[in-house]
Amino acid sequence: MAKIIVVTSGKGGVGKTTSAAAIATGLALRGNKTVVIDFDVGLRNLDLIMGCERRVVYDLVNVIQGEAGLSQALIRDKRVDNLHILPASQTRDKDALSQEGVEKVLETLGKDFDYILCDSPAGIERGAQLAMYFADEAIVVTNPEVSSVRDSDRILGLLASKTRRAERGEEPIKEHLLITRYNPGRVDSGDMLNLDDIREILAIDLIGLIPESEAVLRASNQGVPVTHDADSDAGQAYTDTVARLLGEDVPLRFHEYQKKSLLSRMFGGGRR
Amino acid sequence: MTVMELTSADPERIRDQLAGKLSQSPAFFQHTPVVLSVEKLDEPHLALERICAVCRAHKLLPVAVRGGPEPVKQSAWALGLGWFPPQEAARPRPLESVAPGEAESAADAAAEIEAPPGVSSGGRIYRGTVRSGQQVTSPEGDLVVVGSVNAGAEVLAAGSVHVYGALRGRALAGIHGDPLAGIFCRELHAELLSVAGNYKRLEDIDPCLLGTTVQVRLEGDQLGITPLA
Repeated sequence: MAKIIVVTSGKGGVGKTTSAAAIATGLALRGNKTVVIDFDVGLRNLDLIMGCERRVVYDLVNVIQGEAGLSQALIRDKRVDNLHILPASQTRDKDALSQEGVEKVLETLGKDFDYILCDSPAGIERGAQLAMYFADEAIVVTNPEVSSVRDSDRILGLLASKTRRAERGEEPIKEHLLITRYNPGRVDSGDMLNLDDIREILAIDLIGLIPESEAVLRASNQGVPVTHDADSDAGQAYTDTVARLLGEDVPLRFHEYQKKSLLSRMFGGGRR
Repeated sequence: MTVMELTSADPERIRDQLAGKLSQSPAFFQHTPVVLSVEKLDEPHLALERICAVCRAHKLLPVAVRGGPEPVKQSAWALGLGWFPPQEAARPRPLESVAPGEAESAADAAAEIEAPPGVSSGGRIYRGTVRSGQQVTSPEGDLVVVGSVNAGAEVLAAGSVHVYGALRGRALAGIHGDPLAGIFCRELHAELLSVAGNYKRLEDIDPCLLGTTVQVRLEGDQLGITPLA
């Protein structure tokens, strides 16, 4: 049975889709049969980030409504063999998704795949709730910013109450914190929230920290998940994240400001 | 100003209903000035003097009457009360014969929470982080949170609230009016603190106290926040 992982955040624009694409790619590169599902019905983006927008024929809503078979809607990634994408519909809205339909799709995919990543839409409404409902694990994407942290906190509350595991009283969803757009320089100057502050407020395990990087924007626009950019800091950070997701112990990188002056070394070292 | 909407002109019924409210939220009845609204009544004459006596007996101080026909207005003035014209387009709120209205104070919010029958007992222990959007209530006794209460979360208790972590959200103790209830936390960053309806917002809290371990108690009608050594 596949492991179902939801990538969620509450707040929009924090990097859910980028992270879902990068992590799915990383899992597949490590030899896991992986499918990534776009739950953002009406605002389809994952296909763009994955660079397969020209190959979309059928989508998740078609499958749920019985207009197409799952195998017809699944798109095979051009770069990695065992990676598939199930795109969202751009012309429908979130009401086109039914809980039974989603359950059936996940059940069928679960027989063939090792990992199912659900790329959640922003918000806490139907789309987001369906994306998280059947999850075994959750990656909560957070920017070092107060509003993002608060929204992530809200999502964590929903993960603990509005999911199948919670409703059935099963073992709770395993929650992971993924901090994106982290800029150690701006953290040092106080513009951004500190890593430790975020961890203290959200009180869950940190699975990865992705530095703010030009590579991410470039990757999005080229439709190549940033994991493929092995020379970039963000690419390496996602590779680390995937390794941790697979249970490996990888030290944290990219969280410290490199060019520290002597003075800030003397006075800034008190925190931690 | 608190408005008491009368749905009956019978002083005896008013007395009974006030007595019921009194047991729910005693703190609400501490010589609170009220406006008696008679808009919903269709009575040309009111035993206004007797109604006022009933109110005073329950530690409510009628200061004015709102609405009613000319004779009601005259008798209000005769009793030394003010008179307000009826409110146009009465808001569709659930009718209750004694409804705290207008004043959006925490006292009213507290008064609206149904009190359980019986004596305060049986607290509640919550382990884990109370997250934004979550509400944890202990309707009959103390609430102990072993963890933090995050911004946007709300913890409420009939008794005291104890937070063994950071308190960043709202904490309301003594929601049924217990003035002896308190709030205790390891790290104070609360958005709102309230004891028996008396509240303080984050803005009103002395910045020196933020981040420290404190207890919050009702001192007179003010919340006192003191560090816990």
